[in-house]
Amino acid sequence: MSFFGFDTTLPRDRGHPREAPGFGEAPDPFAGFSHRGGAGGDDEALEFEDTYDGLGDQLDETDDTFNDDTFGSSGLEAPAVGKDFDFFGQTAKVSDAIHEEQLRYTRHQPAPKFAQPKAPKRTGYEKYQIPDLQASADLWGVGSKQQAPETIQQQTFIAPPTQTSAAQALPKKIMSLEEVEAAMRTQKPKPKAAQAPAPVPPSYPPFSVAQAQALAQATAPPQQQSIPAALQAQVSNVAGFPVKPPAPNQVGVDPRFSQPTPTDVPNFAAHPPQILQRPQPIPAQFSGHRGSPQPRQILQNPNRQPVQPAPYPRQFGSPAAAGGFPGAPVITNPQQLLQLSEEERAAFLIEDAKRAKRNHKIFLLSKDNGLMTPQDKNFITRIQLQQLVTATGGLNEPGSDAALSEDFYYQVHNQIRGGPRQNPNQPLGHFAQTYLFQTGGRHGGPGGRRHHRGGDNHMQRMEQQVQRAVEAAKLKPKNKQLVIEGSLGKISFSNAKTPKPLLNIKRQESSDASSRVNADKKSINVSANDRKSILRGIESVYSTLMKLEDHERQMPPPPTEESDAASVQEHLEWRREMVDLNQTLWKELKVMEPIVPKLSSPTPHPFIAFLSHGKGKKAIPRIFRHLDQEQRVTVLTMVVVHLDVLDVVRGAHLQPNEQQLPVAVREEVELFCQAVMPCLFGYVNEAPLSIVTGLLGLVIDGVNIQSVAYTKVGVGILTMLISRAELVKQAGNVNEQEWEQWTVLYNRLFDIIEPVLGSIFPVSVHSSEDMYVWQFLAAAGIGASPEQQQRLVIAVKDRVLDTVLQSKTLPADMASQRLSNVNLFMRAIGLDVELLG
Amino acid sequence: MLFFSFFKTLVDHEVTVELKNDISIRGTLKSVDQFLNIKLDDIQVLDELKYPHLSSVKNVFIRGSVVRYVHLPAAGVDTALLEDATRREAAQQSTKPSR
Repeated sequence: MSFFGFDTTLPRDRGHPREAPGFGEAPDPFAGFSHRGGAGGDDEALEFEDTYDGLGDQLDETDDTFNDDTFGSSGLEAPAVGKDFDFFGQTAKVSDAIHEEQLRYTRHQPAPKFAQPKAPKRTGYEKYQIPDLQASADLWGVGSKQQAPETIQQQTFIAPPTQTSAAQALPKKIMSLEEVEAAMRTQKPKPKAAQAPAPVPPSYPPFSVAQAQALAQATAPPQQQSIPAALQAQVSNVAGFPVKPPAPNQVGVDPRFSQPTPTDVPNFAAHPPQILQRPQPIPAQFSGHRGSPQPRQILQNPNRQPVQPAPYPRQFGSPAAAGGFPGAPVITNPQQLLQLSEEERAAFLIEDAKRAKRNHKIFLLSKDNGLMTPQDKNFITRIQLQQLVTATGGLNEPGSDAALSEDFYYQVHNQIRGGPRQNPNQPLGHFAQTYLFQTGGRHGGPGGRRHHRGGDNHMQRMEQQVQRAVEAAKLKPKNKQLVIEGSLGKISFSNAKTPKPLLNIKRQESSDASSRVNADKKSINVSANDRKSILRGIESVYSTLMKLEDHERQMPPPPTEESDAASVQEHLEWRREMVDLNQTLWKELKVMEPIVPKLSSPTPHPFIAFLSHGKGKKAIPRIFRHLDQEQRVTVLTMVVVHLDVLDVVRGAHLQPNEQQLPVAVREEVELFCQAVMPCLFGYVNEAPLSIVTGLLGLVIDGVNIQSVAYTKVGVGILTMLISRAELVKQAGNVNEQEWEQWTVLYNRLFDIIEPVLGSIFPVSVHSSEDMYVWQFLAAAGIGASPEQQQRLVIAVKDRVLDTVLQSKTLPADMASQRLSNVNLFMRAIGLDVELLG
Repeated sequence: MLFFSFFKTLVDHEVTVELKNDISIRGTLKSVDQFLNIKLDDIQVLDELKYPHLSSVKNVFIRGSVVRYVHLPAAGVDTALLEDATRREAAQQSTKPSR
């Protein structure tokens, strides 16, 4: 014996040198080892002195003071290191693991006894197998009335007598075969039955439950047929039951679905491991679907009611299930089945099979049924709706005003463009609902509205949800932080209305701001006309305007005779406020600023400066609505007096080398014509002749008509005045004196403008932009005396002819357009283009 | 809220969204939320040769933070109203300093 258990026989004792194995011999990896191992020992083939390097001589044999430290306390003897190595003990320590490995292996691999060509296929009907064993147990006459813990889950299901209480108590525990048998013996009144030849090989590893189940399901059908009748008879006899031949109807029905009959008894006896199968499958089936949902739901909503277990298909063939179908005897106990007639049993089994299939289908479809309770669903819907409500604007703020300010553009835009909201006074709740219907309802599409929904009470419930959500939001404290009980910190939430501020910039003190405003005012007074202050002035006009409009919207119902004092008072308040705002607006328009003589001041009048900006022009139509007649005429007068300093007149002269005005100027002119002119025109159209005369007088006296006449706006205003006078005259209610005044002024105007009449047209004949000129000529022509008309024709004759010629080269529609423009003038003086032939 | 309010009115209009990674996507605006996340339908990438992997994408959800520009349909914008809305927003900001 050597230290390591190597072969220590000396080479001379061996027949063949180990170091040189023959061909047939496997090489010994330790061959060299054993050889060298002998070097320090009893191998005399090597001379010690040959190999000894003498280092040992240098050792101080006595100096072993620290040996204990180095090698442990045992000293030189080192008895702990002996030859009695406990290899088996080490192995035994891992034997459990080995055991487990073996188990694992057998689980994946069918046991040789039940060897199947391939792994058991999962049919989805595994669980229907179970009752076989329950029934068998019953048939064995086991009297125990214990309820398996699992069966409690099926409320109506009374578990059949069980066999292995140990297995029930610890369904997951893996029991060895011996344990199982022991348990059976203790429970079975007829121990012989348990001793029925169990064909499990002795070396069979402890059975895991799942394994047993898989095996059983995979092997049950063939086994039933393969078990020798003799064995069946023997077992049955032993069990004390009358031997029954296999029921004929079982041939047609899958044996796995069949209700257990006495013929199944041997089946049980033949496969003891199956007995473990019975308690187990239920948890196995459910761990996937129902094990986890419960805690999850608790997380979602602690207040919700305890979850009802989802109805899951009953195990096929279980007595409870059998009791369910109508028209058939209620079978709560397999033994009842035995008392049925053949037909009844056949019908029962077929019914059962059908139901099993249906249940299975339901089961597959409803795997996740009941994962959420209705309460959970409501809860989540509410969360979503709340999000929606906050996202679509402050539903939880009282009044639509706040909402309007938050979501002004969208709401007004929708009102203007015929969006989903038809009624501006519609409460906001409807707004959110509209939004809901648009996004959620497929039936309505973008235009889907409430009345399209056709009795969809789901949507009604959603509405109620919204209402409730709103109520809840109202009740909720307004603080922006939430401390949830048990949480470690505060949760600050943000919503659409109050987003979490990323930057917190402190505003300047209000006193600071007000002083700044004061400074602004001063500077305005000092230099009222620099661009910045003009723009600021326009903005203040706008803000006043918006206040005015808002105020107008909030008009209380006008008082009637029946209305009480309070409402009258309210209306009066409103009126007063309206007047105040109007005054503010008027002041800000600065129309009443003193008119400084144009030549002496380089800066125009503030109101004209106001009009020189695009947004100032745009404001005019809105302002005009709120102005009274006197204010309007003031504005008109202002415009007329400053006609030649208006940007759209002053800047709208063509430079000698220009064919067209610059784009920016053209846009301004266009804007003026669209925004300001209609307002002025609207006023002038109602003005009495005296005012028109006065205005024309202002123009003639204060403005360079010849230069104004070159611009569209200037010509337009002249046209406006002249045509109005003509209309007033034609209406017939003018006194002679006024008309005299007018005629004098008109003649003056005509004299002034006559020299330029031929050149006030846009440069090119080809341009179709000359309509306003023809309009002016027509207006002038109507009011003109015959002599003046002659002069008119002479002045513009060339242009008329040119245009007629030009129109002949144009397509028909454009030509008729041009000719009708000319005709406007021609007819005014009693002619027609047709006459020009 | 102004932008949110504004973009809501552009729902069902065709817009072009230019992302910060230079991809421009044109599509019908389906929805927008308060973060200005954008959902586009029937999309088309403008430079399709450069981004062939997007040629088969039919709709997208764009996180608001990656948007550089949104090209608007001029007809869908009410400029005067937008100006007023802006004024209102500005007025609100100035009256609520702590926001």
